[in-house]
Amino acid sequence: MQERPYPIFPFAAVIGQDSLRQALLLTAINPRIGGVLIRGEKGTAKSTLVRGLAALLPEITVTAGCPFACAPGEQQLCPHCAGKTNKVAAPLVRQRRAAFVDLPLNATEDRLAGGIDFPRSLKEGQIVFAPGLLASAHRGLLYVDEVNLLDDHLVDLILDAAASGENRVEREGISFSHPARFTLVGTMNPEEGELRPQLLDRFGLCVEVRGESDPEKRVRLLELRENFDANPRVFIARYQQESEALASQIARGREILPAVRLPDSLRRFIGELCQENNVAGHRADLVLEQAVCALAALQERTRVSIADVQTLAPLVLLHRRREAQPPPPPPPQEQEEHEEQDEQNRPEEEENKADDRQADREDGREEGKSPEAPAQRPGESAGQEDEAEQQEQQGEAQEDQSQSSQAPAPPGQEAQQEQVFAIGATFTVKPLSARKDRLLRRGSGRRSRTRIAQKKGRYVKSSTRFNADLALDATLRAAAPHQKSRRQGNGQGLAVQLTPADLRGKIREKRIGNLLLFVVDASGSMGARGRMAASKGAVMSLLLDAYRKRDKVAMISFRKNEAVLNLPPTTSVDLAGKLLADMPVGGRTPLSAALARCHQELRNHLIKNPGAQPIVILLSDGKGNVALGEQTPQDEALLLAATLAQHNPATFIVVDTEEPGLVTFGLACKLAAAMQAQYCKIDELKAKALVNIIQEHTV
Amino acid sequence: MKKRPIYPFAALVGQENMQLALLLNVINPGLSGVLIRGEKGTAKSTAVRALADILPEIAVFADDPYQLNPDTEAETWRSLRQAAGLPADETLPAVERRKVRVVELPVGATEDRVVGTLDLEQALKAGEKRVEPGILAQAHRNILYVDEVNLLDDHVVDVLLDSAAMGVNTIEREGISFSHPARFTLVGTMNPEEGELRPQLLDRFGLCVTIEGLTQVDDRVAIMERRAAFDTDAESFAAGWQEQSAGIAQKIVAARALYPQVEAPRELLFTIARTCLDVGVDGHRGDIIMLKCAKTLAALAGRKEANEADVHRAAELVLPHRLRRQPLMEIARSVQDARQHNLQQQTARGVQA
Repeated sequence: MQERPYPIFPFAAVIGQDSLRQALLLTAINPRIGGVLIRGEKGTAKSTLVRGLAALLPEITVTAGCPFACAPGEQQLCPHCAGKTNKVAAPLVRQRRAAFVDLPLNATEDRLAGGIDFPRSLKEGQIVFAPGLLASAHRGLLYVDEVNLLDDHLVDLILDAAASGENRVEREGISFSHPARFTLVGTMNPEEGELRPQLLDRFGLCVEVRGESDPEKRVRLLELRENFDANPRVFIARYQQESEALASQIARGREILPAVRLPDSLRRFIGELCQENNVAGHRADLVLEQAVCALAALQERTRVSIADVQTLAPLVLLHRRREAQPPPPPPPQEQEEHEEQDEQNRPEEEENKADDRQADREDGREEGKSPEAPAQRPGESAGQEDEAEQQEQQGEAQEDQSQSSQAPAPPGQEAQQEQVFAIGATFTVKPLSARKDRLLRRGSGRRSRTRIAQKKGRYVKSSTRFNADLALDATLRAAAPHQKSRRQGNGQGLAVQLTPADLRGKIREKRIGNLLLFVVDASGSMGARGRMAASKGAVMSLLLDAYRKRDKVAMISFRKNEAVLNLPPTTSVDLAGKLLADMPVGGRTPLSAALARCHQELRNHLIKNPGAQPIVILLSDGKGNVALGEQTPQDEALLLAATLAQHNPATFIVVDTEEPGLVTFGLACKLAAAMQAQYCKIDELKAKALVNIIQEHTV
Repeated sequence: MKKRPIYPFAALVGQENMQLALLLNVINPGLSGVLIRGEKGTAKSTAVRALADILPEIAVFADDPYQLNPDTEAETWRSLRQAAGLPADETLPAVERRKVRVVELPVGATEDRVVGTLDLEQALKAGEKRVEPGILAQAHRNILYVDEVNLLDDHVVDVLLDSAAMGVNTIEREGISFSHPARFTLVGTMNPEEGELRPQLLDRFGLCVTIEGLTQVDDRVAIMERRAAFDTDAESFAAGWQEQSAGIAQKIVAARALYPQVEAPRELLFTIARTCLDVGVDGHRGDIIMLKCAKTLAALAGRKEANEADVHRAAELVLPHRLRRQPLMEIARSVQDARQHNLQQQTARGVQA
């Protein structure tokens, strides 16, 4: 192992971040806490502290020459030592610092879990296992920067090893396992996407970090950093004493830990606390127990106090809390909630009042029709509710108009009806992806699983097509039958003789991003009953999802007499969001034009990117009422939809925005059938998460 | 054949911000790179190449793929040889001097080309594990120019910025575990219309300048005239600017020597901290870079103390891309808050029931 070629900012010199500092010291004392997840802004000394901690870890005793850092006399030995202990009475031991392993984002699976030792396998003629980073991290620290950006298959590997304390490799003709117990420390910036709940739960503690807001401290921090950069060696030397004090504090803590006692009453308190917070499973209880013991040990006490529990409870519970299982609210009420939210940030409320007179005429009819209207009339927050009500009725009025009048409305009136709705509530979107096929693609992102023409992703099988990505196991197998006849040839001291015909390449799979083409209905019928707000909320949710999965997005909106490409394919989700917020609603529904436009865009995209798998998301109620040709608008739209699906290798999703109620037309459903599309309502887009993590719900 | 001269740095017209940002970065590589946002055809790559041309020559070992510094990195050379499985003989190779290079990273670059990979030929023929150094090895002590950085694969950008920040490139792939120094001046360009960089990556670029085509007719005419003169007779055009270019080079050398002595008074640090707080940038990287930038500005001006004006100038270069962007999701502040939220919901539900 090479020495670190760069100086490390001392742990003791970091300003602030007390709770992170404490959490790291605790895991150093008691690895059974199960690691730390650090969430927070960029540039808040996350990595600096973790790297600094590595320098403070106490020394451990290891069996000399063991690649897996076995502790002598341990129950579960690695295969390397297990073979030897029978022969040698007492193995040689040596002292060294616990390992600090930094997992770079570009690590491949064989480096992480271990793989074939290339040269030795060729020389010795048998498959030799080369231990990976999980082996190096045994009894030490595994640090994953930006853990939320790591490829899923690597995350699974780490998770499995962390859970079982053992790394099992069954791959590329290797069958091997060795102990891998390590402390996992990860950092993430939640803006870039959340971790899966399973992985989140795996981290014992979770710490939020943010920048210092006190100018005095910021200045102090600046000064220290400048001193460090000016002369790192001197700076580190100056903190030598404090660093040593911290290191010995950790060492002492480890000694005291076995003697720390947790009173039964506190154990009960911990249980109640976890119960109250509705955490999933029992890990929280166990982690909190371990953590408070470590805290007591850190402060050289052998008895845990109630204050310890109170200090550490937030770190353990924050990422595990769930909402108490709510009874599913009745659908009309949920609709109401959406609208209230919209109301609060709608600037043009005042303008709408002018139309209220007109809307009032429909009032009577409206109240009779919808059962929930009278129920909420006497509601408490009269002002707001009323506003919502009025909005609703006005929308209804518009809808009635656009429905009843298949004939075009006068243009002046149309312009008047135009309005901009705010974006409704957003939610976590269920996974949507394109179909899997056998084509090789390039690219990054995290949406659809595909075979990939890059040296990334999971090795699924080998092929005779060799593309500089050598599959050694397959190559050796291919070469094996010929060894006897080749032995006479040139030697080079290798046990295995290879020829180009033996070479096998790896076929890999990985997730990549797709083009999401949004086709959004912005006609007058969408303005009704907060539907546009809900639809916008749905599109916004999909956009946020697209950002995290690194998709490209494009947007077509259709209203009045035409369909417009608002946004050509781009990775700039921000831009799409801005356009969405400003999208006006009003006018008739030129569904056919939208489908034609969609076809055109898809074709352009596919010419530029052959093999791409765009995903088309059509948000509409399907009530097309403007035709391009002679047919009726509905028939034409269905015909176009069928043609569109036939000619483009895209995945289609139709999101029905029609209001559920007594009278539904089900036109979007028919459209979806014609397109062979997935069909769903807005609510069905939502992810059915097993664990509703609390942060997504609190404002 | 004699090499065609490069368009002289001193003859560039306009784009003062970009020129300044580039100068500051070659004086102090600790500023961790410049991001140039702007249209095509605004002399971005011309400026970078011109700057490399006038920089003082560097000393390297002959045929060293890692461009190590013979004065300070001889030990590293030995350990790299050892790690690569080559005999680390006692005698160091000959030293030669050469110009600073502009290493370009093409948009289609794959990750293994960037960080380095296993030398497959060697592995198959001789059964030896040897590292084939990538672009980051080439870039050590040089300028790494990344055109259209926003179109690069995300993971490649991650790797790049990580190396730029740490000054080290670590390879963990295909059975290799290896690291080598990679300290370079990073220059990235992007056209914002093609999509933004993630805020996380934006933050890692020390400075950011936005450039656009010049609007003054006189300036545009000057550009055309100079370009025409350069195209007809590059040699004599370059010779005509020789003196000015040498002057700039001298300023760079002087500023580099002066930088370690530049002081920043404590009040100035408060100005920086308060500016960052007021503007609302994430974390502390903004503060740190701003201070370095102000000090480099002072060094460039030949002063031993940074002043308010330096800080204001620095803010223009350091803060634009760090302004807090709307976070996409909020997390609960504390269990206490969350509990209250929960309780409220429960009571609300109770009332309804």
